Amino acid sequence: MEQTVYPLAAMVGQKTFRQGLLLAAVNPAIGGILVRGEKGTAKSTMVRALAALLPDIPVVRGCAFSCSPEPGADRCPDCRLRFPQLETTIRRARLINLPLNATEDRVAGGIDFPRSLQRGKVVFSPGLLASAHRGLLYVDEVNLLDDHIVDLILDAAASGENRVEREGISFRHPARFILVGTMNPEEGELRPQLLDRFGLCLEVAGAKELEERVELMERRDAYDLNQDGFCAEYQTATDQLAHRIAQARVLLPKVRIGANLRGFIGELCRENNVAGHRADLVMEQAAKALAALEGRLEVSVEHVRVVAPLVLIHRRRDAQPPQPPPPPEPPEPQPPEDQPEPPNQDQGQPEQNQEETKQQQEQQEQQEQAPEQQSQAEDQEQPAKQEAQEEPSENQEQQAANNRDEQLFEIGPAFKVKPLTAVKDRIVRRGSGRRSRSRISQKKGRYVKSSLQTNNDIALDATLRAAAPYQRQRACDDGLAVHLTRQDLRGKIREKRIGNFLLFVVDASGSMGARGRMAASKGAVMSLLLDAYQKRDRVGMITFRRNEAFVNLPPTTSVDTAGRLLAEMPVGGRTPLSAGLAKSHEQVRNYLIRNPTAQPIVILITDGKCNVALGERKPVEESLHLASALSRDGRIRTIVVDTEEAGLVTFGLAQRLAGALEAQYFKIDDLKAEALVNIVRGQQQ
Amino acid sequence: MNIRPIYPFTAIVGQDKMKLALMLNVINPGLSGVLIRGEKGTAKSTAVRALADILPEIPVFVDDPYQLDPNEEYDSYLDIRNSLQLPPPEAGKQPQVGMRKVRVVELPVGATEDRVVGTLDLEHALKKGEKRVEPGILAQAHRNILYVDEVNLLDDHVVDVLLDSAAMGVNTIEREGISFTHPARFTLVGTMNPEEGELRPQLLDRFGLCVNIEGIQAARDRVEIMERRAAFDLDPEGFAAQWTAESTALADRLLIARALYPQVQVERPLLFEIAQYCLDVGVDGHRGDIIMLKTAKTLAAFDGRTETESADVQTAAELVLPHRVRRQPLMEIADNIQGLRKRALAAH
Repeated sequence: MEQTVYPLAAMVGQKTFRQGLLLAAVNPAIGGILVRGEKGTAKSTMVRALAALLPDIPVVRGCAFSCSPEPGADRCPDCRLRFPQLETTIRRARLINLPLNATEDRVAGGIDFPRSLQRGKVVFSPGLLASAHRGLLYVDEVNLLDDHIVDLILDAAASGENRVEREGISFRHPARFILVGTMNPEEGELRPQLLDRFGLCLEVAGAKELEERVELMERRDAYDLNQDGFCAEYQTATDQLAHRIAQARVLLPKVRIGANLRGFIGELCRENNVAGHRADLVMEQAAKALAALEGRLEVSVEHVRVVAPLVLIHRRRDAQPPQPPPPPEPPEPQPPEDQPEPPNQDQGQPEQNQEETKQQQEQQEQQEQAPEQQSQAEDQEQPAKQEAQEEPSENQEQQAANNRDEQLFEIGPAFKVKPLTAVKDRIVRRGSGRRSRSRISQKKGRYVKSSLQTNNDIALDATLRAAAPYQRQRACDDGLAVHLTRQDLRGKIREKRIGNFLLFVVDASGSMGARGRMAASKGAVMSLLLDAYQKRDRVGMITFRRNEAFVNLPPTTSVDTAGRLLAEMPVGGRTPLSAGLAKSHEQVRNYLIRNPTAQPIVILITDGKCNVALGERKPVEESLHLASALSRDGRIRTIVVDTEEAGLVTFGLAQRLAGALEAQYFKIDDLKAEALVNIVRGQQQ
Repeated sequence: MNIRPIYPFTAIVGQDKMKLALMLNVINPGLSGVLIRGEKGTAKSTAVRALADILPEIPVFVDDPYQLDPNEEYDSYLDIRNSLQLPPPEAGKQPQVGMRKVRVVELPVGATEDRVVGTLDLEHALKKGEKRVEPGILAQAHRNILYVDEVNLLDDHVVDVLLDSAAMGVNTIEREGISFTHPARFTLVGTMNPEEGELRPQLLDRFGLCVNIEGIQAARDRVEIMERRAAFDLDPEGFAAQWTAESTALADRLLIARALYPQVQVERPLLFEIAQYCLDVGVDGHRGDIIMLKTAKTLAAFDGRTETESADVQTAAELVLPHRVRRQPLMEIADNIQGLRKRALAAH
C-alpha cells in the first residue's frame, strides 16, 4: 500500500531535529539517534518524511537481506556464495517500523516453521533487522520496548551486523541501518547504558510562537484536505533536499578532520565527564556528516560546536541521577590553534534552565535541592512548589502544631527512587509493567526455556528435538520432511517484567508531624508513587492515626488519586501502629485472594513510636508481635522506611519493627538512587 | 431475520456533549476518536450503538474478514490474498459484493494482544506446513466503530497497539515470521471510569476528543429517561417507529455535513485564536492545535455552514483541550477549560 507522507521540506520549525535526522541519513556510522520530547511534536511524521528522501539503492534481486551487489560489500551467506553472479535491481530505501509488540524472533529473525518442516532442516526466516538493512529503522516509544529487544537493536546498529545464536540457529547477516528512536520522558526513562548507545540525542518541544503554530495548522490542514496537491507544491524543495543527502553521502568519505580538532573533541568529552569513548567517536562522525552536508571537505570548529550538544546531552555524568540532563550550551567558540577549553558546566547551568520547559525546570530544581532539603528538613523553610497556594506558610503550621490536633503538611521534594523489586519465582502471571521479573503467559517477553504446555506459543527447536527419535518410524509420503504429533509439541516459557502491587502504610500520627518530618516523609512517598507510576504498578494506601487505621485508597492503578490523597492527608493524634499493621494485612490478604499470583510489596512509612494498642498488651510489644506474625506470610514482601531523625536520642523502634517483619529497612535518604550506583547495578544485570 | 430494534439515538435524553463528540467523529473520522470519561449507566454504549444504527450501509466483499471497500481498496484485497498465499480471484471476475450495516465492534477488557492484532495459527503451520492467519479485532473494526469499554484497564501494550493503528490507519501483524499489513481505519470510542486509574498521558493525547459525563441531576430529566426506557422495553418497534422521522433527519444531516466538510473555510484570525488558546492553557505539542482546527471545521459543517466561526472554536476547545492540558505529575484532568484559561491569563 503506497501512502503519501508529509514532506520534510514542509515542516515548520524543529531546526535541530531536522538537522539531526539529516546527519544520521548522511552518515549511519553515527549509530542511531534518539528523539526525546513531548507528545504531538511531529516526531513520527518527521521520520517518515526522512525515509521518503533517502536515495534509491541497488540490491541483489531476490535477496531477503537487501545485500549490496557492489564488490567489497558485506553480504549474507547466500549472496557470498553466489558472488559475483548477482542480478541487481534498484529499489527505494525502506522505512521499517518496529511495532511495540514485536517478539525477539521477529526482530532478529528466527526459524521459518513451514519451510523448515518441508525441507527437513532449520531454515532461517529474516527478521526486521534484515529488512531494515540499508534503510531506516524507526522505533516509536523506544522506552516502552522490552529492554532485551532494545539491546538487540542497538547491538546490530553498532556492529552493522546481526548475529542470531539461539534455538539451535547460528546465523549472521549484515544489518546497517539508520536507527531512529523516539520517546516521551513522561513515560519513564531509558536505562543509562541504553541511552549511551544512541549516537545522538535530540530534545524536541512544541513551538511557542503564535505565528509558527498557525503556520503549522494551516499546512497540516491543507495536507489533510489534498495530500497529492500539497506534496506537489513542495516537490522542488523535497527534490533539493534529497539531492543534498545523496551528494553528502558521496562526499563523506573524503571529509577530513584535523588533529587539533580531534584534540578539541577529546577535551570537550573529558570536560563533560563522559563515560567511555563512544562520545568522541560519534562526535567526529557527526561533525564529518555536517561538513559533508554543507559541501565542505574539511571539518571546522563550527561543525563540532553545532553537533557537540547532540552528542553530549545524554552522556554527561554529573551529581544528578540519570534523569534527563538539559541540553548543554554549545561551547564557546574556540580558535582551533588555542588550547581548547570548553566552558565550565556550572556556568552553563542557569542559562539552560531558562530554556527548559517549565515542568522540567521544576523537576530539576527539586532534584538539585533534594540533598540540601533533606539534611535540614527540620527547618522546613523552603516552600514546596506543588501545593504552595493551598496552605499557609510552614512556620505558622509549626507554631500551631502544639495547639491543634490536626495539621496538613505539604509534600516535600521528590527524588528518584532506588530499584525495588520482588523476588523472582516460578509462578506464571499476566500483565505489563516494569518492576519485577516474572514468568508470563503472554507471547511477549524473552524465551527462556521450553515446556510440555504449548498454549499456541510453540518452541520449534524443542519440538523438533522431541520428534527426532521417531522420524524413521513415522516416515510416510505427505511432502513434509518431519512428522510431528501432538505429544511432540513444546511451548515456550517466557519471562518479562511486570508491575507489582504496592501498599503504602503511612503513619500520620502527631509524632510524625514534629519538626517538619512529615514533609520529608510525604516527599518520600511521592517519590515512590512516581516510581510506581513509571513502572505501572498498582497502588493502595492506608494511614493510621488517633485510634484506628483507614484504607484511604483501595488497590488501583490510579497513582494520581494516591498523589492527591497524599497531599490532602492530615496529620495528628496518637499512633495506632498495631491497627495499621492489622489493616494492611487484611488488605493484602484480600488482594491475594483475588489475584493469587500477585507479589504485593508493603511499604511501611513510620518512626515506629506507637502508643495505642489493639488489645491488652503494651503498644510496642503488640506491634512487634503482630509484625512477626505478618512476616510469616511468605507471599508478602515488606519495606520499612524509617522517618526517625538521626539525633542524640534515637529509639530505633522502626529498625526493630523491620527486624520483626523481616523487612528491608531504609532511612529516607537511603531510598535515593545515586546515578553511579544505578549504572553499576544496571551493568551487573 | 427479526432483529430487535436498537434504542434510537435521537431519543437519548441529555448528554449533549457526548452525542456531539460522537457525531463529529462520524462526520470526520480524522478527529481520531472520542474518550468518554464518566460513571457507569450514563448511556455510553447505548449512544454508540444507536449512532451506528442510523449510519448508511457500506459495501463489502462477501466473506472478507478484512472488510475492505470494494470501490477503493481492491488493490489491498489482492495484496492481502497474495501475502496469505491464497489463490487470486479468477481473471476478469470481481469477487461478490454485498451491503452491510456499520457495526460496533467491542474490545473486551480481557483481550490479549493476539486477539487484537491477529495471529498465526502455529499448530496448523507445524502439522500441515502452511501459514494460516487468524485476523484480529482490528481487522473486524475496519470501516466500523471500535468500542473499547474501560480502556484504562486494558494492558498498556494492547492500548499502544490500538492507538497506533488508529493513528496510522493500518494494522501490521508482526509475529513468528509473518509480516503483513491490512487497512484498519475505524472510529475509536473509548470509555473509562477515572476512579479506577488514569490512562497514560501519551495515550490520552492520541484520543482526539474527550468528554466528561455524569448522571443527569435534574429530576424531570431522570423521569423522562425512565419513561422512555420503559416505553422502549414494552414495545421496541413501536417506540423506534415514533422516532424514525427524527433519526432519518439526523442521518441526512450527518451525510450532508460529511460532504460539506472539505469546503469549510477558516479565516486566519481564527487560527491565531486557536493557537493562542492552546498556548494559554498550556498544551504539549501540536496535536491539540490541529485537532482543534479540525473539530471547529467539523462543527461548522455539522451546522451546514462553510465558514468557521469563533463560537465553533470555543465549543471545540471544550472537547479537545481538557485532557491535553499539561499537568503536574499526578494531578487531575482539567474539567472547566474556559475557567482554566481565565486563571492562566490572570496569572500572567
